[in-house]
Amino acid sequence: MLTLFKARSVITMNPSMPRASAVLVRDGLILEVGEEKNMQPWLKDQDYAVDEQFAEKIICPGFIDPHLHPSMAAVLLPMEFITAMRWKLPWGDIEPVTEPTGFDRRMQELHRSKPVDEPLFIWGYHQLWHGSMDKARINQVSDIRPMVVWHRSFHELYMNDAAMAMAGIDAKQIKPGMQIDIDKGHFYEVGLGFAINRLNPWILAPEKYAAGLKRLKQVVHNGGHTSIGDLATGLFNFDTEAQALADELEGEDVPFRTRLVVHGMRLTQGGHKPEAGPAMAANLMSRNSRRLRFGKHIKLFSDGAFFSQLAQLQEPGYIDGHHGEWLAAPEELERHIRAYWHEGYQIHVHVTGDLGLELTLDILQKMQDEKPRFNHGFTFEHFGFSTPEQIRRIKALGAQVSANVYYLHELSDSYAKSGIGFERASEMARLGSCVAAGINTTVHSDFTMAPAEPLNSMWVAVNRINHAGTVMAPTERLTQQQALEAITINAAHVIGLADITGSLRAGKQADFTVLEADPLTCDPMVLKDIGIVATVFEGTVFPIT
Amino acid sequence: MNTAPKDKNARPITVIGGYLGSGKTTLINRLLGDPAIPEGTAVLVNDFGDINIDETLIRDQSADDKVIGLSNGCICCSISDDLSKALDTLNKMPIRQVILETSGVAEPSRVLQHCHYPGFRPRAAIVVVDASNFSARSKDKYVGSLVRAQVDQAHLLIVSKTDLNPSFELKRLTPQVDCRDAGLIETVLGWQASAENFSSTKPHSTMPTFSAYTWYQQEPITKEKLSTLLAGLDASVERVKGWVATDEGIYHINRVAAHIELNRIDRNWQPDLLGLVLIHHADMNPSLEEFFATTQYPIAKEPLHS
Repeated sequence: MLTLFKARSVITMNPSMPRASAVLVRDGLILEVGEEKNMQPWLKDQDYAVDEQFAEKIICPGFIDPHLHPSMAAVLLPMEFITAMRWKLPWGDIEPVTEPTGFDRRMQELHRSKPVDEPLFIWGYHQLWHGSMDKARINQVSDIRPMVVWHRSFHELYMNDAAMAMAGIDAKQIKPGMQIDIDKGHFYEVGLGFAINRLNPWILAPEKYAAGLKRLKQVVHNGGHTSIGDLATGLFNFDTEAQALADELEGEDVPFRTRLVVHGMRLTQGGHKPEAGPAMAANLMSRNSRRLRFGKHIKLFSDGAFFSQLAQLQEPGYIDGHHGEWLAAPEELERHIRAYWHEGYQIHVHVTGDLGLELTLDILQKMQDEKPRFNHGFTFEHFGFSTPEQIRRIKALGAQVSANVYYLHELSDSYAKSGIGFERASEMARLGSCVAAGINTTVHSDFTMAPAEPLNSMWVAVNRINHAGTVMAPTERLTQQQALEAITINAAHVIGLADITGSLRAGKQADFTVLEADPLTCDPMVLKDIGIVATVFEGTVFPIT
Repeated sequence: MNTAPKDKNARPITVIGGYLGSGKTTLINRLLGDPAIPEGTAVLVNDFGDINIDETLIRDQSADDKVIGLSNGCICCSISDDLSKALDTLNKMPIRQVILETSGVAEPSRVLQHCHYPGFRPRAAIVVVDASNFSARSKDKYVGSLVRAQVDQAHLLIVSKTDLNPSFELKRLTPQVDCRDAGLIETVLGWQASAENFSSTKPHSTMPTFSAYTWYQQEPITKEKLSTLLAGLDASVERVKGWVATDEGIYHINRVAAHIELNRIDRNWQPDLLGLVLIHHADMNPSLEEFFATTQYPIAKEPLHS
């Protein structure tokens, strides 16, 4: 049985036939893209159905987020969001709350809407918008219900008395120096580890984790994705995670596939030499199922977290003189990269600052000198700060870029004021230069670091407007065409799926994202608000309600 | 910084830091294999990788001794709760002290901060420095600032691989011991930070407790008086190192037990700091302050930069 999907327009991302009006599908595979009248040779002797439900819609290749973290999302998503930025979530849009009274009001609403004995976890607080937080403020909402208010950065949290009692935290144990302000119920850095260990029964309980993955599944679907990359499988614990992913992200009701890329440093932890890693990573492929697939990919890490200003910067560094951090010693990173490079792996390296990027480029240069490789797919992940000279090196060494472009939207204003100054802050996610240099370039959410909404990432890449409304480095903006390529075919290349998805042409899987409006011709400012009607995964329609 | 009264029941944590390849694991293995290691010592290692666990378990008579592996925390937010987990586990065990190996890219002061955990207190940061390549590494584009910070934050420096670079000398007053010193393990186990931020208590074991006392030179001293000063130190003083300006030029002082070396240094070269660091048995003499108070060279709170 063949299905003929008709659309107002089909955007193919196949440069030889950029537009069409119909896609013909058999058993999840595209037979032909084009005009119905040209498809008669297929249709004349076979049964087929015409599916006109998208006749007034736009069919795009299925969106791809090549870098997010299902395990982290599973921890966060069961929580309630009160955030300064808009988050579109399947169970309701989170409208921005940008002042203290609004935050209190929202806490009250959440409190009133929940069964009385259920602990309430709230994520998204930030003092910049929501004023100073403390135990007394939360106690005013409820002194009976355990309530935890988590900072947007994840690095600190506040608890009311009931939450501290629930977690068994005894004020007498708390001493100065522990980074706990017990009178304020404030736990940060060292104190955060202490608090998390005591809250784990509520946040990492297996049923919570499973519920979190179910929510992630909805988030991924509603964002319009048909493929994602889990770019650090084994972040918390490999076996537990792999099992949970198999339980929740495989099955006929799952409308997307996941490229699993194992956390290389975790893989060989506990006494294995990095050189044993490639064989261990190859063994993981025996676990592959239809939707969950390891490949010849590995994830490694260079410098520290972008959100914490721990990216390693070249001169002149941070204004306050602090330094970023290395997540692995440069020699260790090089040793891991060498092990996988020589075995023909595609290597994905987390780089946030321009010094982290410089180090990784130096290592890549050494690898190319030792064993030249073409089409190796070496990918710089996150790509916060960079220089124009580094763009040329990335191109010359044949690497690709997968950027968290959302940094620019949420952080460029504050980093300009209290981090690194306007010039460098405005040029984070230097994507226009990458595309101009001919580098395969994609964007990702690193969810939960940014919303898992490819149209939102596209909106930031095209407009480069930060949350304060300033256009940052307009010459680095992408065109709508370039940005749509970034979230489809370019992303497919980065996670090694370009042979089966990322564009619409004969022979690929029928993965579509169906939109209300045309993302190539619409006003660029409305990109993030385009309605997503449905996704089609391997020929099966999954409506979005 | 912590100025809290010390908690008597808090178990001290000695942090062992130093860049990748500096010799931390070798040192930990020596510690684990040494009969001097007291009962109830828990060792937290950054990765089990090169630690001889099996050998340790065979050699250890005490079931109390624990080796627990750590991994780096969440990469996306840099939160490491592995250490919190390990410390919560140790809290339930009859542990008396903890030796904590950091990752090669950790700053000891950040790790010490993590040792302010219920039931524990930081004792000292011991940093292993590789004599064969410290000089090059401290200028490295990528890790220069990190390895310099590691040395700056140390309470005791252990210099490794001195056979490869016998003339290696760190130009600073932080106490330094050579990896080949016979008393190395004793020193590591007994080391007490004398920095103000860290309280020290006598350990439960009979291990000697070493402490460092730094005397910063504030005013000139004749060479004769310097010799008298050095000769007048009591038997608790194990070692003296430093640079002192005299009427006959700047002298480099190195005293090991009773053997004193005084060498005049090149006229064209000046150390950053003038003064002496004295490593002494704190259990024999808790403070050298009294000694210096009786001389005409009392304690200076601040170093005088030459």
